[in-house]
Formats: sequence, C-alpha cells, structure tokens
Amino acid sequence: MSSPEPLEERAPEGPKTPPAKDSMTPRIGVFVCHCGSNIAGTVDVSKVREAAEKVPGVVVAKENKYTCSDLGQEEIIKAVKENDVNRVVVAACSPRMHEPTFRSCIQEAGLNPYMLQMVNVREQCSWVHSKEKDRATEKAVDLVRMGIAKAEKLVPLEAREVPVEQSSLVIGGGVAGIQAALDLAQMGFKVFVVESEPSIGGRMAQLDKTFPTGDCAICILAPKMVELARHPNITLLSYSEVEDVSGFIGNYSVKVRRKARYVVEDKCVGCGVCADACPVKVDNKFDMGFGKRKAIYVPFPQAVPLKYTIDKDNCIHFKTGKCKACLKACANEAIDHEMEDEMVELKVGTIICATGFDIYVPMKRGVYKYWEYQNVITGLELERLLNASGPTGGHLIRPSDGESPKRVAFIQCVGSRNKKIGNDYCSRVCCMYSMKNAQIIKEHEPDTEIAVYYNDIRAFGKGFEELYHRVREEYGIEFIRGRPAKLSEDSETNSITIRAEETLLNKITEREFDLIVLSTGLQPSEGSKRIGKILSLSLSPDGFFQEAHPKLRPVDTAVDGIYLAGCAQGPKDIPDSVAQAKAAAASAASIMAGKKVKIEPLTASINEELCIGCGLCVEMCPYGAPEIVETDNGTKAKVVEALCHGCGTCVAACPQKAITANQFTDEQIASEIVSALGGMEGTNGKARKPAKKAEEA
Amino acid sequence: MSQYAYFFGCIIPNRYPGIEYAVRWVCGSDGFNLDVEDIKEFSCCPVPGIFYSSDKNTWLLLAARNLTLAQNERREILTVCNGCLTSLLKATEYLTDPKNLGKVNRVLSQIGRKYTGIPRKTEGRRRIMEPVKVRHYVDLMINDVGLESIAEHAKRPLKNIRAAVHYGCHYLRPTENQTIDDPNDPVNIDKIVETCGATSVEYEDRLDCCGAGGGVRSHVVDLANSLTEDKCRNIADAGADCIVTGCPFCLLQFDNAQKSFTKEGIPVMHVSQFQALAMGIDPISLGFDTHHVSAHSFLRKLRGT
Amino acid sequence: MGEVEKTFISGLREKLVEDRVIDESQLEPDFAKEIVKHGGKDVMTCLQCGNCTGVCPISLKIDYKTRSIIKFCQFGLKKFTLETRWVCATCYRCYEHCPADINPAEVMIALRHIAIKEGVIPPFIKMAASNLLKYGQSVKPDPEIERVRRELELVDMPSRDKEYAKVVREINLLVRSTGYDKLIGIESEVKT
Repeated sequence: MSSPEPLEERAPEGPKTPPAKDSMTPRIGVFVCHCGSNIAGTVDVSKVREAAEKVPGVVVAKENKYTCSDLGQEEIIKAVKENDVNRVVVAACSPRMHEPTFRSCIQEAGLNPYMLQMVNVREQCSWVHSKEKDRATEKAVDLVRMGIAKAEKLVPLEAREVPVEQSSLVIGGGVAGIQAALDLAQMGFKVFVVESEPSIGGRMAQLDKTFPTGDCAICILAPKMVELARHPNITLLSYSEVEDVSGFIGNYSVKVRRKARYVVEDKCVGCGVCADACPVKVDNKFDMGFGKRKAIYVPFPQAVPLKYTIDKDNCIHFKTGKCKACLKACANEAIDHEMEDEMVELKVGTIICATGFDIYVPMKRGVYKYWEYQNVITGLELERLLNASGPTGGHLIRPSDGESPKRVAFIQCVGSRNKKIGNDYCSRVCCMYSMKNAQIIKEHEPDTEIAVYYNDIRAFGKGFEELYHRVREEYGIEFIRGRPAKLSEDSETNSITIRAEETLLNKITEREFDLIVLSTGLQPSEGSKRIGKILSLSLSPDGFFQEAHPKLRPVDTAVDGIYLAGCAQGPKDIPDSVAQAKAAAASAASIMAGKKVKIEPLTASINEELCIGCGLCVEMCPYGAPEIVETDNGTKAKVVEALCHGCGTCVAACPQKAITANQFTDEQIASEIVSALGGMEGTNGKARKPAKKAEEA
Repeated sequence: MSQYAYFFGCIIPNRYPGIEYAVRWVCGSDGFNLDVEDIKEFSCCPVPGIFYSSDKNTWLLLAARNLTLAQNERREILTVCNGCLTSLLKATEYLTDPKNLGKVNRVLSQIGRKYTGIPRKTEGRRRIMEPVKVRHYVDLMINDVGLESIAEHAKRPLKNIRAAVHYGCHYLRPTENQTIDDPNDPVNIDKIVETCGATSVEYEDRLDCCGAGGGVRSHVVDLANSLTEDKCRNIADAGADCIVTGCPFCLLQFDNAQKSFTKEGIPVMHVSQFQALAMGIDPISLGFDTHHVSAHSFLRKLRGT
Repeated sequence: MGEVEKTFISGLREKLVEDRVIDESQLEPDFAKEIVKHGGKDVMTCLQCGNCTGVCPISLKIDYKTRSIIKFCQFGLKKFTLETRWVCATCYRCYEHCPADINPAEVMIALRHIAIKEGVIPPFIKMAASNLLKYGQSVKPDPEIERVRRELELVDMPSRDKEYAKVVREINLLVRSTGYDKLIGIESEVKT
C-alpha cells in the first residue's frame, strides 16, 4: 500500500513527454527567483513578476526565495500541472549551474526538458547593477520579457544516447598516471598506459626521499609500477607517443606510435649483458647528467618494464654500422637493429591526461650562474646526488672537485613567483623539498652548515609546518629571508659567495658556500604542449592545463570524457597528485559505468535542401563536427552530433543559411530581439508599457 | 628614403668634440658613406636624469619637439649617447598613448609643430603611422652597416690593444624599451671592438653602473666616484689598455672621476673614436687632449713603441 | 659571514639616517596612491624580498636600501624619502631583477616628482634647466672646447647661430606652458 502517486507517474507508455502538449498554443509559466538577497536585494522581484503576468501568453507567474530548492521546484511542478503550462521561464542565475536542475524539474512535471528558458537576472543584472536599483528592475523586466518571447518559439528536443567504450587511455606513466590506471583497472575497465620514456615512474622515480615523512620515493613507487605492469586489465605502451586522437566522449580512437627500441620486448629478460658489452658511455638523463650509462640501457635499476632500449643517437651501429657488440652478447636474440616504429590504434571511452611537469631551467648568464659555475645545481640534481642508487651512491659531493661540501645554501623561488620571467605562480613543492633535502644532508654529514635563502616559507600541507620547525630547531638549519642578488665564484676554491640583503636584519651580507642548490620550480612539460593540441585542451595563464571549474570540476576538462591528473594541471606534491589521479579515475569510471552517455540535442542541424556542400562549415568548426558526404541529392554537409558543441560558428558562416542551431534558431533569437526593442511585431507589443509602469510605480 | 639625422646631444659637442669628429668621420665619405644629415634645430634630448626625473610633462614636450624635427625630415634619429637614446625612445613610447599625444600636440601647436609619427604605408585612405625611429650608434653599426663592412674598413687593426667594454645602463635597461642587445649578456660593442682587431677583456661586474646616472654625479659626486673606483679597479685587474663605451656621460664620469683616486688612470674613449682609429684616422683629430685622462700610454702602445 | 663594507660619504649619512622615531602623525596613508599618480607602480604589491637592495650599486656604498625606501612608501613615511631619492642612479638593475615587477627605479623617479612638488629641489636641476633655457642645451658651452671645435674644423655650436634664437624661444615657451619654471623656481630666467 505504498503511495499511489509515483506509480501514476511511472505509468505513461510510449514517449514520456507527449509532444501534443508542448506544441499547443503557448501557455507560459514564469518563475522569478529572489536568490536570497542576491537578486531581491537589488531587483524588485514583485514588480518583475507583476510585469511578467501581464505579458500575453503567460498563464502563471510566481516568485520564490530560492527557486532551485526542493520547495521551489515543487512549486514549479505544481504550477505547471495546475495551469496546464507548456513552456517554463525561470528568471534566476546563470544557466551554467542550474539549467540542468530545472530541465529535470519540468521533465518531472511532464514537459519536454528543453521547453525551458532561463533568464539570468543575477550575474547579468543584480550583481552588476547593485547601485542602480530602479534601472536594474527595469532591465530585469526587459530580460524576462525577452525570455518569454523566446519561450513562445521553443520546440521540444530529444537527447540522444551513445554507447561508451569500456576502456580508458592514460597518457603519462608518472605517479598520477600509474594511480589512475590502477584504480580504473581495479574497477574492471581496460586501461592503456602510454609513456614516452622507456620506463614508467616519471619524476617521482628520480626523487630520493619524500617530504615530510622521509619515505624513500622509489621504495613506495616501485610496488605500484610492478603492479601496473602485471595487471591483467592494463596494457603498458612504454617508449610510445600519442600521435592523434579523434572521436568524442565514449568513442575516442587513438593512434599511438610505438618508438623502435631496437630490442624485442618479448625476448628481453633485462639481464643487462648487452649493456656490459656496449662500448659507448653517455650522460645519464635520469641522473640529470651526473652519472653515465651505456648506449643500450635501462634508465634505472627498478625500471618497468625492465626492457633495454638502444639510444639511437649515441649507438655506434647507427652512426657507422660497425658495432654489433650488444647483438653478439645477447643470448636471447632480443636485439633487432632493423626494428621500425609501429603504429597502434586504440578504441577508448575516456582519456586521462597525466603528462606531468618539467623542472625550470635557470637562464643563461642569469644572476644564479647555473651555466657558469659548476657548484650551482638544481633541486632535482641534488635529489640524484643524495639518492642511494644515484651516480654517487648517495654521497653528496661538489661537482667541481668531488669533495663533500661543508657549507650548503639553498636559494628558493628560482623560476617561481617571478613576474619578470612570466612564472607568477608558486610551485608548491620547493620549500618543502629543500627542507627535506637539508635534513638529509644534515643526517649524512652532521657538521654541514646549511642556509636557506627564502622570501616566504609555504608549509601548508599535512605535517609540513612540523617539518619546518624540526629542521630549524633540531637540525639547526638557518633560514635567511632575502633574495640573493649576486653570486661570485672564488676561482681557486670554486666556492661561491652569495650577496643578499638579509631583510630581517636590514643588512647586506656576503657569505661563502661550497655548494649552491637552486630550488627550481615546476613548469608544464615540453610534451604536454603537443598533447594539449592533440586533445584540444585549453591552457590556464600559467601554461598548465585548464580544468573545467577550479573548485567544482577540478579534474574535468572542457572536452567531455577527458580528465586531468597530477602536475599536468598545475604544480602539486605527491599526495595531491595521487588524490587527483584517483578523482580522475573515478570521474572516468562514472562515465564508463553508465555504459551509455547522453548527447545534448543543442547541436547544429543542416537543411539538406538548402546545403550546397561548399564545405565552409567544415573549415570553420573548431571541433571537427561537420563532414562532407555524398548523398543521392549530391554533395552535402552532415553534422556528427556527438562532436558538435552547439557553438553556432557554422550557423553564422553558412552562406546558404542552411544550418540551424537547436534552441538558438533565427526565429527564436529574432523574437527575443523584437521584444527587447519594445515589440514591433504584434504578439507582445504592449509589453513595454507595463515595464514602464513598473518603473514609475 | 632618406636615412638618419645626427643627434649629438649636449655632452659631446660641448665637452668631447673628438667624438663628434669621429662619428662624422666614420659615417662620412672617409668611412661608410651613410646618408646622415644635421638638423640644426635639435635641442637637449632632454636629459632623463633632470627632466624625466622632475616633471614628465615638460620632459615629454621637449622630447616631442625633437621628434617632430626628425619626423618632418622623414629621418631616423641617430643618437650617440645612451641618455638621448633612452629619453627619446621612452618619449616615442609615451606618444603612442593617444591621451599623451593629444596633450602634447595642443601645446606644440603654439610653436607650429605637431607630432604624428612617420607614415609607414597606406591602407585604403588611411595612413598607418609608426613612431619616429630612434637608433643608437652601436645599433646602427651592427644592424645597418654590419660587421663585415666594419672589418673591411678596419685598415689598421688595433692588434695589441686590450679594451674593456662598458655598455652603460641605459643601453641595456629597462628591457621593455631596449631590444638592441641581450640585457644579461650584451655583445654588440664587444663585437665591434673585436672586429677592429682588438681584444675585448672580460672583467668582473662589467654590467655595473659607472656611477654618474640619474643625477648622482651632479648631486653627490663622491658617491658617483666611489662607484667608478670599483669599476676601474676591476678593469685594471683585467689588464685593459683602455675603456670603450657607447655613452658620453659614462665616458665623462670615467674621465673625470679617475683623478679623484688615481694618478695614472685608464684612458677612456667612445666606441666611434675606437673604430675611427682602426679605420686609420689621425689620432690628433680625435680630440684626446680634451680628455682628462691622458691617452698617451694607449697611443704609444698602439704605435707599438 | 661579513657585512658588506661601506664607504660613508661625508655628511650624507647624517642626512639619510634621520631621527627614525615614528609616530602616526608622520604617516601619510595615501602615499602609495600619490606614487602611482606620478607614474610609479603600486608599491603595496612589493614582496620585500630584498633583491633590489642586493643589486643596487648605491646600496652597497651608503646607508640606503632600495627595499627600505619601498617599505617607507608602503608605510607612508614621505619624510624619510626626501633626501634619499636623489641618490638613485636610475640604472634599472632593480627593475630587471624584481620578481614582483614593481620597477623600483620608476618609483624613485615618482618620489623625485613628489620631492620637487614639496620644494626639495637640488641645485643641479635648476642649473641644467637654466642652461637649457639659455642655450637650448643642458650643458653650458665652454670657450676652450669651442676653440678645439674650430681646430677640428667642426661646425660651430648651433647656439652661436642667430637662427638658433628661434629654437631657444620655442623651448622657453614649452617650459612656461607646463609651469616648470615656477615649479623649480627659475621663472625669472624664462624669456618671453
């Protein structure tokens, strides 16, 4: 004996929304929202409602404190049913947030959800005209009148559904990419991980320890890397590049170039005999140029996959054709110098972009003399020098003479928070990694004197402030507030003198150090620009990828079905990267778990009779939605609805006026304009007068 | 189109006529034979340390007056001084703002002048104007004359000379106006010096200020001299025979300040004088006798005696 | 660690290190805005990192710190910046290194403008301006140099030319139009 009402609602058979009801003579319901005092504080809502009531075609007009609340929505449903309303105008906030809310609300009331017109009287009226209340009210009346005029011309639309490919592509195999891939695989989706380097692991694999807890970075990362390689749902494409992405949410097709590593992955067991045999030694990029590796190599011992790669640029065979030492050494016949790049095509439903960051490279002949003085190194170089599996076995040395430095200075904010070089943002990790490294140096060599030149210390995360106090109080690290102005080298000892104003002492000092560490900031990785173009992602002013909404959609992008994880979206520490990766995985999963995705019907449609197949729309479209097809009636354009964003560019461009944007038809917009001009066209010609009256009253 | 107009400013004609002679000689028929003319009505640029520092309206008016003279002749202004360069260049930038332009032209109309810029091209009936070009002597040598031509004309390479190059602040900074050279690592004067056959010595803090600028020399001469002393010490440490600069005000500072802390002093000359020497001019014409620091040691070394 | 040794210039130190006891009556709350009005950037956005002091050639010599001047501006301590503003060499090194893009050199210039308005006018400004009004150039012609010019067969200084009187008249008119002559107190020298 449950309540009978819901049963009744579920009852209708066939189409949920009877079209007859929608297309009848317009019976419009207008709902004006107070939005607390956001609107009502400036606009006289009652006057707006009264004015709306008088417009022909309006059968009911109401005002609410909060129209979006349950109470407000119930009132809409009730008014629609009671007054046989077939078009609804809501005058409230921007449609960005609540248009979907009201669409489902009127659908519940039995209308087609697209028979809704929202009028923005908050952002575009009350907020910007808060000082002119009367005129704001007048404007709100005009806006509502225009909305009513458009509502008269609305036609019902149906959303389409398309199936979603049950697989995901993760671009980038750093900690964020790894975490996102593992989460998705765990949920049962197929995942392809594309990494441009021979091994996954990313920047985190290069770090020594992590702040603030001091966990060894590779020790906590390696198990995840191995788990990823072993997971039955994950296909790892290392040493590969994404070349092209086409399609739309749920149906992306991706072209991946598998770069030739000249070693057959299936045959290589990672024994390293080939590297022993290789006669070529080059700087190891993974060790930031400090250590050496062979021309056939794995970047680091814990590499995943543990497959060797030939560095073509340095291999003697590729230069002269004379050496085949590795080929002779390999017992498994895994070496293949004839290997060529291979293209792989993937079908995926969602994409997670985790392309990470690069370290800022100090400029040539700049103040900090990175390129001139050997004993000036960057933070990431220090990580390698402190790392037990690094080039020095974890023993900190000065690059100039290999001695252990007794006086070390860190210089903060190199390449961050600097408007002069265009990096205005804080890189968020430099303060903490410097403290962490200072602590490690002190632990290795307790008699080292360490100073940190800083502007502001940003110890904002969990356990960060505690680390700050620990290194100051327990480890005796000196913090000097001031930005160094000049570095000069002693030509004999290669020690470096820093001149700076110590702003807390109000003194200009010169201090000598054995080693200078520049706490270089983070910037978007070189490869991410290319990926950004392929995925048509927009960039925020700092050069990192732009999220769809900074607060409410932090992992989404403007492109449906593509998500961001890790430092590709902005500088982050490891926990934040992992958290964002998990969020991106969940967002991608929520699309795929639905199996189908709704495609908004607010797209462009082409009138084949008028179309001459000129192809201008194809040229103009930023999303590649229209295409030229051969039909029985000749060459015509056709819009792939799933790709169309309804932006209207093609509509404006079409010389034949053959394209219509749904819900923004010429007729609808014209009626709005006519109404705005005071109604020269019959239907609501009298509307102007009530508005004037409202103002006078 | 006609090319350049000499703008010598105040210091060169009134203190170091040798520089004026050298520039005219290098650009004239004995040298590169460039199309340069005198515009007699030019006044002081006006000097940034005085007028830009005390009243921008007056500064802009006086600078705009100079710019209109070059504009009417359709010529680029060839400055030989960093101060003139920065003052006039900044003025052209100020005048791209219509508000400033209107204000300036209202006053200029009283003396029958108007700043419009030089027409670059016409689009339909509209003429596209560009600001009057203000060029530095070094910029002209590097970009218009070219190092190859400089090398060809350097008939008497200054082989045994070690020169310390001083650029001067306003040749390099502020970077928003100056784009002739890399502000962190300028090379143009070094290139000219090397092309003339001499060695440009590297010395510490070579981009530091001479000490004179911004009215410091006029206001607290001891302070200015103390900065020059540091600079000269570094230059002497590098074993330079002379200081070569692109700015007559820096030159004046080096020339006058050295007597306050040393007897001998390092001779200092403008890059045009240096170039003229390499091109075979008689040193007598370079007016070294108007310099306070004697150039004898330098000229002896040049002759190889 | 050693503090950079300074050469104190006689007399200047006393002038710069004035009695620095601050009470509220000495603060001018809108000083930052006044600086903006005179073409400086907003000093309130300064990070106080001290980079400008470190690169400033003057700060290494005397008791003058670019950062402190900016700090005084933030406080509104107009009085403390009266003398110091004239020792800036406008070398723009501070501008090149300022991470907050304040352009301290232009702030110094704005301070000079304010000083001039307050009547703190160093004599060399008057001298250069009078030279300009008399000769069209801010450096006074030197007979000895003019002799050398003739020796070198250089054209005579234009200021010797009769037609140049017109130029001088124009300059006088321009200077009068902005009231610059009155501003720096040389109105008696302006020709009409």
